[in-house]
Amino acid sequence: MAELHIIGQIIGASGFPQSSLFCKWGVHTGGAWRLLSGLREGQTQVDFPQTGEMAHWSHPIDLHYTTKGLQGWPKLHIQVWHQDSFGRCELYGYGYCHIPSSPGHHRLQCATWRPLGSWQEQLAQMFVGGGPQLRSPDLIYSGADRYRLHTVAMGVVEVELGIILRHFDRYGIES
Amino acid sequence: MASSNPSVFLLMINGQIEGANFPEYDDLYCKYCFVYGHDWAPTSGLEEGISQITSKSRESHNLIWNFPLDLTFKSTNPFGWPQIVVSVYGPDTFGNDVVRGYGAIHIPFTPGKHTRTIPMFVPESTSRLQKFTSWLMGRRPEFTDPKVVAQGEGREVTRVRSQGFVTLQFNIVTKDMKKLGYDTSPGSSEATPVTGLSGMDQPYTL
Repeated sequence: MAELHIIGQIIGASGFPQSSLFCKWGVHTGGAWRLLSGLREGQTQVDFPQTGEMAHWSHPIDLHYTTKGLQGWPKLHIQVWHQDSFGRCELYGYGYCHIPSSPGHHRLQCATWRPLGSWQEQLAQMFVGGGPQLRSPDLIYSGADRYRLHTVAMGVVEVELGIILRHFDRYGIES
Repeated sequence: MASSNPSVFLLMINGQIEGANFPEYDDLYCKYCFVYGHDWAPTSGLEEGISQITSKSRESHNLIWNFPLDLTFKSTNPFGWPQIVVSVYGPDTFGNDVVRGYGAIHIPFTPGKHTRTIPMFVPESTSRLQKFTSWLMGRRPEFTDPKVVAQGEGREVTRVRSQGFVTLQFNIVTKDMKKLGYDTSPGSSEATPVTGLSGMDQPYTL
């Protein structure tokens, strides 16, 4: 069986309205993939940057997968949350990116979005915060039911990933 | 040395902790250590170190350590790839050593020269009472073991403040990774690199 190593970091995020941010992340794969070791999901620390507006998480990722097929190549999905000084959390963005399929070192920028409510909800959000969230988080990485959503652009999450492939060439896979 | 059927691969790290950029602090020193998985073992070199104290000069605001890293690891499995953990300390206004930042990064795995700048952060008190007592006593929250910054678990409870950067340089040499079947760079497989797999529509079973 072919093996895939994903080693890297979720570096941080920028371009969000406020910078006291944290991130929930997970890796989604198809059925042919099996996780041998490593954490498939997690949550970063909350960073309150002193210099600049970029929040830094330096959250390590180290995953070892084996696979019997190429379908369902791993995807990294993320949710960015804002935590205010009272400890209240508010959703700031959803996003996903494919794990690169070529070996080597990659720096990815994952653009994020958040659902936009009706104008009443937007008005309420301006004054009391909060806002609509997805009921089923699989919408982050699937395109099936997206057409019913109305979204707005949020910031960018930076991810640094190294990819090591093993025995893919044995099966004629050119990556 | 030349064995045709290797069972381990080697990772040689030559590099340096070049320096740091902390706009608010001066007279800093740093410590480093490595965090790695069960399959990994260091074969030569120093796994931990502590640098000199460096100050900003009048000309530049950079702190320079120029602190050497020379280390070799061996392993059978890339899982648990080594991470370097750097922590920076300096005196506060009363002369006590307090931590000014923790940071970590995976050692690059493609052979060659790499420069990495890593963000440095310190933990924050979670409650206002703790914040007040730490201000009163002049003691900042610290991690009892700096190695937690290289772990992905249990971070959701920590609140941090990032306040600087450390620049590291690495020269990486690997041995026998290709012989063990590991592809670490796009050019290393014989086939021409193809980006994206979207062209493969029908199921392709390995």
